[in-house]
Amino acid sequence: MSMAGKFGSVIRFLLTCWKVNLASALEYRTSFFLLAGMMFINNLMWLFFWSLFFHRFPVIHGWRLEDVMMLWAVGSGGFGWACVLFGNFPRIAAIVSSGQLDVYMSQPKPVLLNVLASRMSVTAAGDFVFGIVIYAMVGNHTFTGALAFAAGLLISGCLYISVMVIAGCFAFYVGNSEGIAGQVFNSFLALSTYPSDIFKGLTRIALFTIVPAGFISYMPIGLLRSFDPVFAGWSIGVTLLLGVGGALLFKAGLRRYSSGNALAMRS
Amino acid sequence: MNGTAFRWKAAVRKTGAVAQITLRQQLAYKADFVFRSLFLLLILFVFVQLWSTAYDGEGSEVVGGFTLKQIVWYLVFTEALTMAGPPLCARIEEEVKNGDIAVRLTRPFSYLAYHYASYLSEALFRFVIHLGVGSAIAWPFVGAPSFGFGWLGLAVLSIGALTVDFLLKAVVALCAFWVEEVRGLDFVLQKLQFTVGGMLLPIDLMPEWLQRVCAWLPFQAVLYFPARTAVNSEGANLAAQLGVQLAWTALLGVLVTEVYRRGVKKLHVNGG
Repeated sequence: MSMAGKFGSVIRFLLTCWKVNLASALEYRTSFFLLAGMMFINNLMWLFFWSLFFHRFPVIHGWRLEDVMMLWAVGSGGFGWACVLFGNFPRIAAIVSSGQLDVYMSQPKPVLLNVLASRMSVTAAGDFVFGIVIYAMVGNHTFTGALAFAAGLLISGCLYISVMVIAGCFAFYVGNSEGIAGQVFNSFLALSTYPSDIFKGLTRIALFTIVPAGFISYMPIGLLRSFDPVFAGWSIGVTLLLGVGGALLFKAGLRRYSSGNALAMRS
Repeated sequence: MNGTAFRWKAAVRKTGAVAQITLRQQLAYKADFVFRSLFLLLILFVFVQLWSTAYDGEGSEVVGGFTLKQIVWYLVFTEALTMAGPPLCARIEEEVKNGDIAVRLTRPFSYLAYHYASYLSEALFRFVIHLGVGSAIAWPFVGAPSFGFGWLGLAVLSIGALTVDFLLKAVVALCAFWVEEVRGLDFVLQKLQFTVGGMLLPIDLMPEWLQRVCAWLPFQAVLYFPARTAVNSEGANLAAQLGVQLAWTALLGVLVTEVYRRGVKKLHVNGG
């Protein structure tokens, strides 16, 4: 099959996965809207906290309330689409260590993509809608502003996926690493929702290297408020590097994977 | 010995036994528990950075009656208390869903007392561990917690705080008798504690109108009272705060008992 043919086949496969996942989620409509609404309220409560905080301290190292709102818009929006379309990315460690990869390996589709796209997180739909609503409220509505926001969503979502794929791959090498992956997930999420400029020195360096949450948490300043080409270039470069790195690590991990004889229906 | 005194004595003995068993369960998995507490380290580190930056920008040593040291330790106490409470709503929801409640209800021990004893024992154990973990961050950054009588206030008010917290969660958890799924309600309760309960921001730093609203809500008795008293015992009226905690305990206690009484009549357990 030609390269274009293979690509077309993967796209068709992904579209089918998403269609089936959506149909499955909508089977329990009330639960779907309730859970998505819950996430929306959760994020709203965080912004309520920030509004109280900025009421007392109007400017924090150049950050205003609108910047933090955009940080939440880009962070929750990116996390939202990533979880809706590739909802298994936070669960890779659990899938590998419990031997559930068998079923994916037996199917003639790219294993990593198949794993990622086979689940849709319904709560995350609320995160995505939240991101869009906040952008509609305080974002830059010019064409370039919308383009920058869309790029921000894309980069943040890809970063969440890549980091969790890498963290999930530990399971191939150290066995049950659900705990470690869970810690990475919570830490990365937490760090990406606070203004990057509150961190100084070594912590700030770590935020743009070891734990690259800074590439999300600096977006409101470096991409949305004013376009910083150096930051934008680094963000794209790091996202690509982590994405490719994660995929290669997963591929290498598959060679070490021992079957759990867990051939079962996917749920 | 008359019958009432005997029943009370037996109830106290049973409650003590449940508390002891819960504590042993916690001690059995202490490594896992400490590992999970690491997230607290990160969150507190982030808070230290955030508040240090805010105080630097303000150029004042005291904001809303709090020094930086007081605010950081305040957050250690509120976080330690918040993370101490076991997931009561999830547990009762699960008991109702899988039918375990049938076994629990047939035991010669009050269902609510069982959960309270288990809750308090686990929460106090976790609270102490979280204080240790939190100190590892706060101490190097802002100095030793030299709060004198504040520690006594923290100890006294924490018992009442965890009791009010249990009762608030119990009201929500017992709704599982009617609706099975209580995650949504639990979630709203948590967020109310985060914000109007003063977990992330002391109530003194909130706008005037919100402070007035918070004064009429039970959430301040859970986190704000113990943490505020610990860092500033001189400015706190311990007796008044204990009185508020007692009043909420009585009010919520009646509510929980009534919800349980009605709910248990409606409960249909299949299997279990």
